[in-house]
Amino acid sequence: MMPHAQKAAIFNKDEARTDWHDASLWMVRKKRDFAVSEIPEWEFLREFASDIKMHTLSKLDDYLEAFEKAAIQNGAIVHWAADAKEHNDIVLSILNKHQAKKMVKSKSMLTEECHLNEFLELHEIEVIDSDLGERIIQMLNEPPSHIVLPAIHLKKEEIGELFHRELHTEKGATDPQYLTEAARHHLREKFHTAQVALTGVNFGIAETGEVVVCTNEGNADMGVHLTPVQIHSMGIEKLIPRRSDLAVFTRLLARSATGQPVTVFTSHHRNPKPAGEMHIILVDNGRTEQLGKPDFRSSLKCIRCGACMNTCPIYRRSGGHSYETTIPGPIGSILTPGIDLKKHGQLPFASTLCGSCTDVCPVKIDIHTQLYKWRQIVSEAGLPEAGNKTMMSIMGNGLASPSFFHRLGNIGRKLLRLFPGKERFLSFTVWTKDRDLPKAPVESFREWYAKQAKDAQ
Amino acid sequence: MPSKETILTKIRANRPNLWPLPDVPIFETLATDKKKLFIQILERGGSKVHCIDDSTQIHQVITTHFPEDKRMVTALPFLEGIEGISTLHPDFYEGTEVAIIEGLIGVAENGALWVTEKELGNVRVLPFIAQHLVMVISEKNIVGTMHEAYKILGLPTTAGFGVFIAGPSKTADIEQSLVIGAQGARSLLVILTP
Repeated sequence: MMPHAQKAAIFNKDEARTDWHDASLWMVRKKRDFAVSEIPEWEFLREFASDIKMHTLSKLDDYLEAFEKAAIQNGAIVHWAADAKEHNDIVLSILNKHQAKKMVKSKSMLTEECHLNEFLELHEIEVIDSDLGERIIQMLNEPPSHIVLPAIHLKKEEIGELFHRELHTEKGATDPQYLTEAARHHLREKFHTAQVALTGVNFGIAETGEVVVCTNEGNADMGVHLTPVQIHSMGIEKLIPRRSDLAVFTRLLARSATGQPVTVFTSHHRNPKPAGEMHIILVDNGRTEQLGKPDFRSSLKCIRCGACMNTCPIYRRSGGHSYETTIPGPIGSILTPGIDLKKHGQLPFASTLCGSCTDVCPVKIDIHTQLYKWRQIVSEAGLPEAGNKTMMSIMGNGLASPSFFHRLGNIGRKLLRLFPGKERFLSFTVWTKDRDLPKAPVESFREWYAKQAKDAQ
Repeated sequence: MPSKETILTKIRANRPNLWPLPDVPIFETLATDKKKLFIQILERGGSKVHCIDDSTQIHQVITTHFPEDKRMVTALPFLEGIEGISTLHPDFYEGTEVAIIEGLIGVAENGALWVTEKELGNVRVLPFIAQHLVMVISEKNIVGTMHEAYKILGLPTTAGFGVFIAGPSKTADIEQSLVIGAQGARSLLVILTP
């Protein structure tokens, strides 16, 4: 696997496009700020959301059993999946039971995590992602680059080209309204012919056994209500205890994600439609492992709003694909090292530790602290990603010894005066690749201070 | 060991110490005029709002908004001259141009309207499949925040499906350009009755 920094360097080659990507996401961040400014109790809501989630995690076994009991009473069929494979097998068995060959799916990061589409396609099931952004990347055979805005990395010209090829829209047409209309017709046909619909779950309610799905396009509901069999795939950390807790989370989710006051549709599914079937699959896939790590378990509070991505200077200028994980960005960088340290151990270094992710997180996950803690673990494991070791040891020694630091400063200032601008002599470190060092001062503060003292005598 | 037991056993071994569950207060809106805020937020989200003095005017408002001869379906019990959803064959749901339903609660802070399958005539897909959606709600049923809304809703008793609808379906998946009318209704008209 290519390290994040290398992938980011490739992304950065197209400077105009990088700027465009950066600006698109910053616009979403600004919308979030505006939405937040309208809620005076915002900080209290974040605190409540964090406490509700931590409480749920501390009694997750009880709440899962309560949820299962209520859901069964409602008439749903509840399945438990220890890992991705078991989840995928359960979905396939439901499809086989109904001899279904076609399934519509709404956005679900969990099924991305389980690589469900690839698995079902191997078994000759046609899977249609019905969220517009998801459909676009599915047609391109790409993973999502953002958890809320899956096609944020694509230009309308590229989507126009794709739709011309796949949906026979006019050549050269790039108007988003026109392209969305074409997708609408294409997807409506799919909703009517699929036999099974699968959705992700934003919140599962322990006291009622309901699953709550938040969308803007209406695609999840079109699928669920038009097909006889509905499946809801849910990570076990998606539970909340009470129905009234939804007030806290629905107020936080959309405002944090896109700056909307709420998603257009907040659907509460309690029981199957008449003559229909409702399945809920509770998925672990590494979550119980994460729960056992005291420093990192609070990452399970995540409600997948994407605010940490929109605000992250690294994410905005490197793109979601550079992370090579289902969940990219700051939250992905603390969720994935626990799954495979060797593969994802470099990601905690894809950060400036500026802490902006922590500031915007609606459930108060201390993301940047966890990034820092993962770095310690990666370093102790002796992985090569643990920063520039030579540089770090020079820095460490230099900062520890005043006389060495003084000499190093002198040399540095001289070199800077001899080679101004882009410092070629520093080409062994990537830091100066896109940065100009400042003009070297004539003297250090110590030298200046010593002179002052002398003059005063 | 079946996966349920495996998962629960792992949780019991790994869960943190009991963390207290907070009591969340019912935060109210600071807005003095909830109706005004409700209308403002709905319009900001791309919906149209029409206030009337008397529910007998509903029919007229709808024909003014949809002057062409559109196929309309209603789940309201008191709208004469418009086909009731209960008599419509499921094969014709897709051809529905305008669906007219009642909203039970309106939330001022976000413009969301609550409906259950009962208000949909047990046709859950109705507000999504119709090309245009009309929701009728009494201004008496507007609350300030989601906390107040869920307090009124309590726990579900009979309805197996309920949804907050806060506007026409929309997407910004192509270059963050807002497009109204994604997979669901292309427009939402909210009729506010006294």
